[in-house]
Amino acid sequence: MIVTGGSRGLGAGIVEGHLDAGDRVATCARSRTPEVDRWEKEYADRFLFQEVDLSNRDQTTAFVNAVVERWETIEVLVNNAGVARDGILAMADDDDIDLVIDLNLKGTLHITKLVTRRMLARRRGHIVNISSIVGLSGYRGLSVYSATKAALDGLTRSMARELGSRGIVVNSIAPGYLRTEMSHGLDEAQLDQIVRRTPAGRLGEPADIARIVLFLTDPANDYITGQVIVADGGLTA
Amino acid sequence: MAVEKARAVIAEFLARAGKSSDDLSDETPLFGEGLALDSLEAAELSVMLEDVLGTDPFSSAEQLPQTVGDILAFYEVSSSA
Repeated sequence: MIVTGGSRGLGAGIVEGHLDAGDRVATCARSRTPEVDRWEKEYADRFLFQEVDLSNRDQTTAFVNAVVERWETIEVLVNNAGVARDGILAMADDDDIDLVIDLNLKGTLHITKLVTRRMLARRRGHIVNISSIVGLSGYRGLSVYSATKAALDGLTRSMARELGSRGIVVNSIAPGYLRTEMSHGLDEAQLDQIVRRTPAGRLGEPADIARIVLFLTDPANDYITGQVIVADGGLTA
Repeated sequence: MAVEKARAVIAEFLARAGKSSDDLSDETPLFGEGLALDSLEAAELSVMLEDVLGTDPFSSAEQLPQTVGDILAFYEVSSSA
């Protein structure tokens, strides 16, 4: 399987979940982390990492080729990599807008294109797009990020229709606010307010999402497809 | 050599897609009357050719192949280059 952006935060939680489950996991990120070094030692025979800027098509293609060369098949793709730049759109830097769109959307589209070709060859596969509740409900100061996340949910629905007849299922998970660096730009007061409004009474943890990825990508799941699973402790209920 | 491999891949693809290869000739159209490939089937054939031959005419050729012969011609050109 491939998990994009698996070196830290939510992505690292997803990688960890699948390594624990005994899967072969390849991940890429712009830079290494101590977790990556540890996994390389601990799971040398079934973990692969490459430094990749997902907005660079050549680097992404080389990464997918490396995974295919090592393991021949790619049965699962988790599109987790993403960046955010907070601030209201009226004041946004054009380069920041490009950065977020190029990585979150164009990078994800490119790797998905490459991996679905491998899945079509075998007529099976599971794809999970990690979107966000801000793509559903919106959030002041995260317009560009939330636009890319809503786009991923659209991608999920179209790909599910496009590939369903070939045994490939595609779903989104829309996490709420997690206790990771992806709670970008939210200060303590905002996080406290989110917790107060969340029926579960806490922020999300990567493991909350990793469990859903395992469930959706289980080979036995060939019937839940084209859906957005919201995991936010009830915040948007 | 590459052309023969391409021919074998096309036969394998047709068998997998449940399409007859009985009256197949170089002139057989891929789309419409002929093999009647839809876009997903064309993608599958493209992937299968790429797997065996490293490249495929659906992704790399200047014009989308329209007949079985167009696919074979792509590999004739490739292997003579």
